Amino acid sequence: MYSNYETVVIGAGMAGLNTACQLAEANQKVLLVTAGLGSLLLSSGCVDVLGYQPIDSTEPLTDPLANLDDFLAEHPDHPYKIAGKAALQGGVDSFLGLVNNGSLEYRGQLDKNWLLPSTAGAIRPTCLAPTSLAKGDVREGGDMLIVGFRELRDFYPALISQNLNAQDLNLNTEALILDAPAPATGKVNITPLELARVFENSDFRNRLVSLIRPRLKSYARVGFPAVLGLAKHNDVIADLEKQLGVPVFEISTMPPSVPGRRLFEALRQRLLGLGGRLIIGSKVHDGVIEEAQVKHIRIETSNRLQPISAKNYVLATGGIYGGGVQTDSDGGKGKVWEPIFGLPIEAESNRHLWFAKGLLSTEGQPVSRYGINVNQTLNPINGTDKSVAKNLYVVGSQIANSNWVIGRTGDGVALATATAAANHILNRA
Amino acid sequence: MRKSTEVLVIGGGVTGCGVLFDLAQRGFKAMLLERGALSMGTSGRFHGLLHSGGRYAVNDADAAKECIEENMLLRKIIPHCIEDTGGLFVATPDDPLDFTDTFYQACLDVGIPVEEISIAETLRQEPLLNPGITRSFRVPDASVETWETCKTLVMSAAEYGAETLPYHKVVDMEVKNGRVVAVIAENTISGEQVTIETDMVVSATGAWGGQVAAMAGCDVTVYAGKGTMIAMNYRMVNTVVNRCIWPHDGDILVPIGSVAVIGTTSVKVPDPDSYPIEDWEIKLMMDEGEKLIPSFRKFRPLRAWAGVRPLYQESDTADLRDVTRKYTLLDHSKRDGVDGFITITGGKWTTYRMMAEHTVDLVCEKLDTERACHTAETLLKNPHGETKLFTLGQRLDALENGELDGQLICECEIVTRPQIERSLEENQPQIINDLRRDLRVGMGPCQGGFCTYRVAGIAHEKEDLPPYETNKALVDFLQARWKGMSTVLWGQHLRQMHLDEGIYLGLLGVDKLPTQLTGADKGRLGEIETEGFYEIGVEPSLVQPEK
Repeated sequence: MYSNYETVVIGAGMAGLNTACQLAEANQKVLLVTAGLGSLLLSSGCVDVLGYQPIDSTEPLTDPLANLDDFLAEHPDHPYKIAGKAALQGGVDSFLGLVNNGSLEYRGQLDKNWLLPSTAGAIRPTCLAPTSLAKGDVREGGDMLIVGFRELRDFYPALISQNLNAQDLNLNTEALILDAPAPATGKVNITPLELARVFENSDFRNRLVSLIRPRLKSYARVGFPAVLGLAKHNDVIADLEKQLGVPVFEISTMPPSVPGRRLFEALRQRLLGLGGRLIIGSKVHDGVIEEAQVKHIRIETSNRLQPISAKNYVLATGGIYGGGVQTDSDGGKGKVWEPIFGLPIEAESNRHLWFAKGLLSTEGQPVSRYGINVNQTLNPINGTDKSVAKNLYVVGSQIANSNWVIGRTGDGVALATATAAANHILNRA
Repeated sequence: MRKSTEVLVIGGGVTGCGVLFDLAQRGFKAMLLERGALSMGTSGRFHGLLHSGGRYAVNDADAAKECIEENMLLRKIIPHCIEDTGGLFVATPDDPLDFTDTFYQACLDVGIPVEEISIAETLRQEPLLNPGITRSFRVPDASVETWETCKTLVMSAAEYGAETLPYHKVVDMEVKNGRVVAVIAENTISGEQVTIETDMVVSATGAWGGQVAAMAGCDVTVYAGKGTMIAMNYRMVNTVVNRCIWPHDGDILVPIGSVAVIGTTSVKVPDPDSYPIEDWEIKLMMDEGEKLIPSFRKFRPLRAWAGVRPLYQESDTADLRDVTRKYTLLDHSKRDGVDGFITITGGKWTTYRMMAEHTVDLVCEKLDTERACHTAETLLKNPHGETKLFTLGQRLDALENGELDGQLICECEIVTRPQIERSLEENQPQIINDLRRDLRVGMGPCQGGFCTYRVAGIAHEKEDLPPYETNKALVDFLQARWKGMSTVLWGQHLRQMHLDEGIYLGLLGVDKLPTQLTGADKGRLGEIETEGFYEIGVEPSLVQPEK
């Protein structure tokens, strides 16, 4: 039995990684165990705190902090209420400290949103963004060229450009679709990750620039799909900017997400650098709670279930999407449960009440609200305020009513609850 | 706008398309109107089965005989639309053994090639089948591609000069001196009205036959018998597997492409355009699937949908099972005193060609001309490849051999960019769902999660669409897929939906595009509005109603 950890974190998404890193920074011995690689690889790579208020508005917010109280007045069950503004600010500060340590540079602050172009040419409000994405903010105005490649099937510059132009922005964009130069020529099923590696090849970049240069008008900046390198990302962009003579930015693509990958790598390296331990690929099979304390959890290894114990446990298993909340049809009715500890979940058994009339529903899907109810110190509770386990904390989208679709708050919830939980754990210590 | 033709066919399902081809081949100037896309009605929502007739041998011998005859014939005339999966009739441990003897004898009497095979052989062929089955028979069932068939029929008819107008909904008929002289239709995309003068109207509108006949002042009752099916995310069997019992809900499992479809139920519904799927149906399909395949529930249900069978009976009957599955041909001149109008309804997909033949024979009689039918001997060529029986591995083979060039857009169903662009050119699809019907884009396990955006982007580039059209097409397609998905969302498939949300709302932000850029501020055009399949917010209907 591994038992010399102070905290075990279950789940490697935004919430899990940030909780683990914060505790490791405070010199705790931390283990993070995860079945998969977390949802960062599918995300935009940005930190959404609050994008829309009221939630059915199509006008993105420019100041999330100023609108937070109104949002919480309409959604009093939202995890931001439980975590508190101070934890949200603390989470943002902590996150910036963690990631701006290596080759990434995230920028932003709680009272400002970036307004970035999406892969469909819609506007995505987000609070913290890496510089390469932030330089695409639509408010900068001016002429913009958006470059795409025939080989990259997950990026359509003409659609992005025309949708941006059709909205009331001070933007004039044009699209340029190229056949990728060697060595990517004809690789018609290339993924964003593969193309990002190709971009680290300077010969490729030189050939690309010679294709773009003759088509360069007086653009204020040039946008690419977010494939401008992985580890050597900064060099790639610096080189392109030097050769093209204009600022260069990235637009998030469909998964696999390169900015998401860069962020995951940054957080992972940081956790390891702080002395944290990581077990990737082992699902947590179950956990035992006795007398309001988690005694141990067991992880699946190749030939047996391995018990692990610690003073504190953090459940960051990502709700329905992450697998932290399981669902099934039980003779036609709906069944919802938490698979590790069997924590109580309030849910409808009538599946007709799980869904809204459309996939694109501004209220989100009712089923997406299902999760674990927590008290002020983020312990899971059972109907009343009584905690089911005093040394167990729940963070991120595993918490009930954290549906990110509503207002677009996902990453902010991860950071705020991670910070609140980490603080409570450190205060208890 | 005014047009004219000799014979006007209403209804672009397989029967209507079959009638159009037969008319055109026999030298009539013919036109077809379909309110949506071809095969958008019952033909596009059935089980996909080319019946051997085994299912009807015991209780409807006439229907069974028609099935086996046409089954054998269709393999020769539309081979590229048929996958020769073969069929099995198996008795599970719960099924009465005496029926199996009755079944076997009935097949022999009707003339259906039937062979009893050993359980060991059955399980070798289909390893996931219930190992407890007691008896097993081989029959020549097959699976069919309905869109491919309708498209082929319509293209072949065009070679004889026939015209097909999808997205044209018939709104009225002009009757003068007891004769139908013209049909008024509305282009559902542009809103434009068109009047078509014609010598003869053939209504091949299935469960909507009563509504269409009423426009000519004829009283026709066609019941809509809803049948619900579920597509599972894995091709569990390579053979059509039937339960060897009296026809029964959920007794057939059909392999279609990369999925397996369990079906079906039989519920009378008052409106052929409104057929919500009920919880007891979902539960029943999953339970019955489990009887055939013990590991059934380990797979993901992708979507549930329903089609409405046209069930015609001259007199009212409470029990839908009493209504024959044979077809009905109504001569409204004799029946209702309205000349120039006939209705073909009822029947089965398997017998479309024969239904068309008899319909066009009647047309000839009414128009006082003798023209022989040749559809039974005419091979209809595959417009895009070899004219031979379809096999599942064809697309993958073609891709691996370099015959199928280009970027893989739908990885689940193996659809490439050149195929999509060609479909855009040839078929003038109005909505992404048209591409889905043509190419199976979005019909695989990811249910369009990844390919929808790609398809919209490609259509945008190729057709130089205004962004409004593309955004609207994207949003409409996602909402349309949702209708069928919401019925079976739990477990892994619910997580899949969350991924779709993450992509389309989170990454792409399509719900945050200004409404004037998505058509959210206007009504939808083009896609026929049918009621959502899974009624949101109602009480669960867990108990199967008494029949």
